[in-house]
Amino acid sequence: MSDPGVVPAGTAAGRERDDAELRRLHPRVVRAWRVTGLLWLPIVGAGVLALATLLADEVMPWWLAPAEAVALGAALLLALVGPPLRYRAWRFAVRQTDVFLRRGVLVHVTSIVPHARIQHVDTQRGPLARWLGLADLVLFTAGTRGAVLTIPGLAAAEAEALRDRLAALAGLDDAV
Amino acid sequence: MPSEAPTAGPYDARRKLHPATVLFAALDAARAFFVPALLAAFGIGGGTGTTGLWLVVLVAVPSVLSAAGKYLTFRYRLAPDELIIDSGVIARRHRVIPLRRLQNIDVKQTAVERLVGVAELRVETASGGRETEAVLNVLAADDAEALRSELIARRHRLTGARDADVDAASPADAERYAAPGVPLVRLAPRDLVIAGATANEAGLLAAGLASLLELVGELPIQLPEPDVDPSALTTGRALMLAAAAVLALILLFVVVGWLVSIAGTLVRYWGFGLERAGDELRKEYGLLARHTGSVPLERVQAVRLEESLLRRAFGLAALKIETAGLRLGRGAGGRRGGAEAFVPITRTAAAPELVAAVLPEARGVRLAGLERVHPRARRRAAVRYSLPILLGAAGLAALVDPGWLLLLGLLPLAWLLAEAHYRSLGWARRPGLLLARAGVLTRVTWIVPLRKLQTLHVRATPFQRRHGLATLIADTAAGGADVARVIDLDRAVAARLLRELNDEARAIRAYAGSSLASRSSTASTSSEVLR
Repeated sequence: MSDPGVVPAGTAAGRERDDAELRRLHPRVVRAWRVTGLLWLPIVGAGVLALATLLADEVMPWWLAPAEAVALGAALLLALVGPPLRYRAWRFAVRQTDVFLRRGVLVHVTSIVPHARIQHVDTQRGPLARWLGLADLVLFTAGTRGAVLTIPGLAAAEAEALRDRLAALAGLDDAV
Repeated sequence: MPSEAPTAGPYDARRKLHPATVLFAALDAARAFFVPALLAAFGIGGGTGTTGLWLVVLVAVPSVLSAAGKYLTFRYRLAPDELIIDSGVIARRHRVIPLRRLQNIDVKQTAVERLVGVAELRVETASGGRETEAVLNVLAADDAEALRSELIARRHRLTGARDADVDAASPADAERYAAPGVPLVRLAPRDLVIAGATANEAGLLAAGLASLLELVGELPIQLPEPDVDPSALTTGRALMLAAAAVLALILLFVVVGWLVSIAGTLVRYWGFGLERAGDELRKEYGLLARHTGSVPLERVQAVRLEESLLRRAFGLAALKIETAGLRLGRGAGGRRGGAEAFVPITRTAAAPELVAAVLPEARGVRLAGLERVHPRARRRAAVRYSLPILLGAAGLAALVDPGWLLLLGLLPLAWLLAEAHYRSLGWARRPGLLLARAGVLTRVTWIVPLRKLQTLHVRATPFQRRHGLATLIADTAAGGADVARVIDLDRAVAARLLRELNDEARAIRAYAGSSLASRSSTASTSSEVLR
């Protein structure tokens, strides 16, 4: 895979060209994220209720109902609208000597993980991911802030294949 | 290259710690048991005498018991290439540490330990965390030093690291590595006084003392109440007196904090000596607790040049090295993460030479003349510093009192700080190195060798994107909380740097890998160790 760098990076044209060569996550991950997002609704509801009992004098203040509506509405919106945005933001590529990642909706983060610096690679599957046939790929490096990088929502078979490929490519450079 | 295994020695059998462990472990445990014992003693009640007695009993008995348990069950030994430790009274733990992974091997002695003739040996590996660490607390002082030399010798034998003088591993290695190396820095008491006087921490101490005084107010001591008529407080004169009193108090704290900082630095770094012996760095320092430490140069991930406000004014700086692996806070003064004091104080002009002693890439490299980040960063800094004041003034004026609008008078100060912040940001590329600088109070310049680079990131918050800026993060295996970053670069520059640094780091790794391969295939002769 050629280095996406001939077109000046950082420009709109550059990003377009980059994006064409980069892989995306599996579309089903949007569903997984939505489900986890929806699971937050009861927690948010309970949280607002707890706040109300702490702050107000009476058990059910007049503002509880509208507050719950606003909070739950916002949480619902986030749960539904957030995942596709997140999905669109995620891009990655396994290049010849490194792994290139780009992610983030609010905070954009671009990362490069050299194969030689990968200590080991895990695949991680929660119950939701298993049900949907997805898996997360977790790269472990010896770094501090960027030490563990996770590529979420890959098709299970793809994750396994990538893990094997990265494990083979990963340098034996364990001396830090 | 690993050579013949050492012949059977005193370390093959399982050894115990020094009997004095019971005393020192008990003292350590007492700290843990103190508060619960205090609560229990008060719970039992019955007068000060009985409570005091109960307190002593409740602290002493479990402490001595646990300490005795530790002494009776702790065993260590050296296999040909491993350090093996068995510990734990209730839950037995068997810990095996490969000697080639040893990074820091330190012997530490507190004043009391020195009196008794014992010392603590502490070893760490690159992986950090509690699982790959060992503390032998306490050993006879001579045993500790002997074991340290043995560990160092074995590690060198196993990692194949070469000193120009050493052709092949031999039993004399242990002796050789105890021999003195090339001295780099020796600090006289005068230097330490300057270090303590110019540290930013002096200001923190003042703040600490101030908060201490608040505590004093809580104690049941009757401080004399000032004879002030409350209604008179609204008059201007009373206000001025109060302001003068506060100012005088602040001044007192600053002076005391300053003196304490000097005294603290003197005690902590007394007789500081740094030398390079072969491919490791050795240092020793300390008045009450004498620290000796060695760090293999291989483990150095980055160097930090730190210039506090006062030090900058006098052309002084401190140097720290970031090593792989975590350093726990306990022991040699709360060091955070993997940052270690390299040189507590030096003339900034002398810094490049010292950095070159640790990072060969830095030989003859200019550490000054960093590039500024994009001028748009000025705007972002101005917004960041002004916004809290604007919001605070507006909010307080609306909710409390319109008089709070006077806070807006702080805006020029905010702009000055923003400008200082912008000027403090800087970066530079040198062959094999990345320099990244930031910080207003303490200006920190990271010097990162690209061969130690782990991962690279470019990060942009929505606010940065608005200004077309981004932050470049160069991650290394240093265990510290902080990481080298170039803040508020122009977005295109950041993307370009990301690519270029990655390419350069890759080339360096490839070169190191190929020369490593060629070395292992030829007969081992002393050769230039590629760093």
